[in-house]
Amino acid sequence: MIQKILTAGVLSSVLLAGAVQAEDALVISTWGGSFRDLIDENIGKEFTRQTGVPVKYITGGTIDRLNKAKLASTPESDLTFTTSHIGWLYVNGGLFEQLDTSKLTNYSHLVDRAKISPYHIGSWAYVYTIGYRPDLVPSSITFNSWNDLWNPELKGKIASPDFDPSHIIDIAAILSGGDASTWEKGQDKLKALKPNFKAFYTNDANSQQLISTGETPVQILLSMNAYHMVGQGVPIKVVMPKEGAVLGVDSMGIMKGSKKVDLAYKFMDIALSPEVQSKIVAYKKASPVVDNAKVSSEDAALPGVFTTKEQWATQAIVIDDKLRAEKTAEWRKWFTENIMN
Amino acid sequence: MDTRSGLRAWLVSPAVLVAFCICVALITVFQYSLRAYVPGSLDVGGLTLANFTGLNKPIYLDAFWNTLLLSAETTVLSLLVAYPLAYAMVRVRNRALKSFILIVSVTPLFLGEIVRTYSWIIVLGNNGFINTMLRKLGLIEWPLELMFTHLGVLVALVHVTIPVVVLMLATAISHIDRDYEKAAQSLGAGPIRTFLTVTLPLSMPGILASVTTAFAWTFSAFATPQMIGGGRVPTVSTLVYQLGFSSMNFPLAASLSVAGLALTAVALWGLGRMTRRLKAVGGH
Repeated sequence: MIQKILTAGVLSSVLLAGAVQAEDALVISTWGGSFRDLIDENIGKEFTRQTGVPVKYITGGTIDRLNKAKLASTPESDLTFTTSHIGWLYVNGGLFEQLDTSKLTNYSHLVDRAKISPYHIGSWAYVYTIGYRPDLVPSSITFNSWNDLWNPELKGKIASPDFDPSHIIDIAAILSGGDASTWEKGQDKLKALKPNFKAFYTNDANSQQLISTGETPVQILLSMNAYHMVGQGVPIKVVMPKEGAVLGVDSMGIMKGSKKVDLAYKFMDIALSPEVQSKIVAYKKASPVVDNAKVSSEDAALPGVFTTKEQWATQAIVIDDKLRAEKTAEWRKWFTENIMN
Repeated sequence: MDTRSGLRAWLVSPAVLVAFCICVALITVFQYSLRAYVPGSLDVGGLTLANFTGLNKPIYLDAFWNTLLLSAETTVLSLLVAYPLAYAMVRVRNRALKSFILIVSVTPLFLGEIVRTYSWIIVLGNNGFINTMLRKLGLIEWPLELMFTHLGVLVALVHVTIPVVVLMLATAISHIDRDYEKAAQSLGAGPIRTFLTVTLPLSMPGILASVTTAFAWTFSAFATPQMIGGGRVPTVSTLVYQLGFSSMNFPLAASLSVAGLALTAVALWGLGRMTRRLKAVGGH
């Protein structure tokens, strides 16, 4: 009997301790896999070290998390990481708290492209660009310009994301004398690229699989993903075309109704500190979003890792986030109907 | 009587709960299908039929046709492969062989969907097992296009459907009274005639049940056509995903889901009508 009471007591204590810890923890909503690890390793651990507050992660797909946030009567997380244009959907839905930037020590060093809205700011940046396997394409092929993707020798060799065609739609528009807001100008140009597409990948893992097996030796891909594969021994060359590459910024915002707003600011503050930004660059080969982060010369030389004002100005092709959030469905529908099939 | 009623209530209540949840989900999807899409927002607009009228575009008609064709082809091919396996599994006397057939037949079910699909990418790819072997044997110079094709998706779908069909057929075959077959043989029928005139008709209820299941199972398949198809083999489920989760156009995705559901119901109803006579043959 005494043994049973003791066991019950120990179990209750463990459960209670877990509940208390979960109650005390700062809850972060993020993607799963390597992005969760990136945040935990570089920001979360430092946050816990400085504050003593544990961090709990809620992971899921970009849209899944947005849907859950919209349906929740009280916020499930205190701070959310999402892509900048999806962040606008959080803003439009009234889900983010307006930021008091005076609480962010390093805010003055935040690059302009990371100042996305009064409600969400960048955490790191990357580009969607051309990555290819030099060992699997004819040696005569070079990629100095996005126009080189239209080379007939690349017939049936290219893959691009099926979840977001905005990059190649914008590029086709630019090459046709337009931009994202006049994207229709690039429709014919993009249709001419159709024979060169072999497949459309569903996610980063699918992209990795297709390029590492050589199934699609040329891809329009996420630079961080490409560098991850290079680190795994896949011989991928990442290109910075003369027109630049399409900028992506992952962002963070504090959930409206969070009871740990101050801790969420602290988390953001740590994320934007030069030291943590330096670690993020080294860890993921992302671009820092502050101009005072120290980046090794090897990482700074990588295409798509922006460390100077000039790089941000000349190499980043920017699609307006709000326009992108509004146009994604139209672009996606057109792409499915005219290019993918 | 009270005890029996109480027990029945206990047994039925989970089913009622599940049915209720499914109904609520279906009603939600249906009401989404009748609402206008608002660009840049997850909120939906007023009532409209535009989502349904927009489904007559070639891309969506292609998706419906592809889905029906893949479902029909997968069903027939799975049945052709699974019947001999199920028959052998039930009728062999050697227990080790019986177990071996069972393991071989159902193993695909124990692999995760993603692992199984990635395995097929390795097998079907340009540098995959099939192309490498064919090239080494000097049968081809250039790799066959198996990935991102209808054929590739079909092969992978058949692979995952076979276990379900084998299990259903094995159950049906094991219920056949062997005395009927012995009676046929004692009257002079050879093994083939016995099979064609006795065993096959008596296993017809199992065949029809597995055909219906395989068809519906394939109709809703997602990961295989999405990943093996690489966006080049559109099906209803892959388009629903793309419209909903990439474009965030939930009303159009919902209308496609509703249309797909209606098409499945019509296809299964048609199948039922066509096979009504065959079902009667198997009544024993």
